Amino acid sequence: MALPQKLESIIALFESLPDAGKRENLIAFSDNAVKWEPQEGDVFEIEDVRKDEECTDTVGVFMQVDETGGCQFKMTLGPQVQTLTKAMTAILCKGLQGSLPQEILDLPSDFVPRIVGAELVRQRSQTTYYILTRMKSVAKVYLNRSHQASDVS
Amino acid sequence: MSEYAHPDMLVDAQWLLDHQDDPNVRIVESNEDILLYDTGHIRNAVHIDWRADLQDDEIRDYISPEAFAALCSRHGITSDTTCVFYGDKSNWWAAYALWVFHLYGHTNTRLLNGGRDKWIADGRELTRDVPSFTASDYPVPPRRYDDDIRAFFDDTLQHSQSSKPLIDVRSPGEFKGEITHMPEYPQEGVLRGGHVPGANSVPWKMAANDDGTFKSAGELQQIYTDQCGLQQDDDIIAYCRIGERSSHTWFVLKYLLGYEKVRNYDGSWTEWGNRVRAPIEKGEG
Repeated sequence: MALPQKLESIIALFESLPDAGKRENLIAFSDNAVKWEPQEGDVFEIEDVRKDEECTDTVGVFMQVDETGGCQFKMTLGPQVQTLTKAMTAILCKGLQGSLPQEILDLPSDFVPRIVGAELVRQRSQTTYYILTRMKSVAKVYLNRSHQASDVS
Repeated sequence: MSEYAHPDMLVDAQWLLDHQDDPNVRIVESNEDILLYDTGHIRNAVHIDWRADLQDDEIRDYISPEAFAALCSRHGITSDTTCVFYGDKSNWWAAYALWVFHLYGHTNTRLLNGGRDKWIADGRELTRDVPSFTASDYPVPPRRYDDDIRAFFDDTLQHSQSSKPLIDVRSPGEFKGEITHMPEYPQEGVLRGGHVPGANSVPWKMAANDDGTFKSAGELQQIYTDQCGLQQDDDIIAYCRIGERSSHTWFVLKYLLGYEKVRNYDGSWTEWGNRVRAPIEKGEG
């Protein structure tokens, strides 16, 4: 399955880097996680804020769907959230911008090691996959609601 | 800090600032958050990861003495270097790394009281500059001191059967068997909940203040000596889930309270809870 173009670009960047460069870029993305926080006045189709066992702090996922059906994600992260989770937040919010909810739901997770490297995935597997799981969960809720609405009408 | 049994094992921020450029001191950051060091660390601190640097995953053991010597050499550590450890999570992983250094006989170590969080809370500076030290020629340790400070499954079983002191430092919910992981953390592959029969529940957090520093010697004595009943000549084993929280308690018992014979069962609950025919108890104990 073809990945969203923006995500492919990020993957290509990471794959071109040695391990040290990968870490540097993960830190840069984690620094940027705050830029993906909801702003005053934002309106969302779905808001899902919760604390799961899989993560060390609360994570909020907020999804807007534009007129073309593409998704825009915003996220809130509690202060104890780990650096790798922050990095994956910024990567996925950017990489999945404009993707359709069904595309997000169908997204295979095997691209994650191509970004963070197999070693980090092996050492912190739950951390690396957590944000993607949460985004998929929100996309699924959106699609279920859409299907229910169309069934009623 | 002067009332502790070995006050020299603990340093405060001012001590660290005074020794930040001391060539005989190496500051070592060890965290649970694998990328935290890269986001900023104490100037001149090197990074040692508890898993990637210290463990040999192929045999679930620690690295060979040769690999330990190479690790130290890479960071310019000599056998005479004073290694000062600090990290996140109230120094769990810093205490763990310190304990591993002791396994190889490198006992010239210190812990920064309060760790990384207190350093930041006190408004002290971090840097992203990674220091570079001239490689040293660290001698390969002739042996590992597992017998002295490390307990294995059989040691712990024997302890349990002979009613010797076993300290379970996990959260009360883990001890009772209600959960198999610490609160706020994922389930990491343990089939059964409960505790080693005969173990006392003394959560690691009881030894720490809210800012991550250790409680006073008097407060610690009240917890471990008065309430838990540990005697100075007791043979004590501490365990948790994977050995990091129990490293914290091992440090408290051995260096802040001065118990002579304290071992850390690093296999801990992830080994015991999964082991075929290992007996467990549930409930309050």
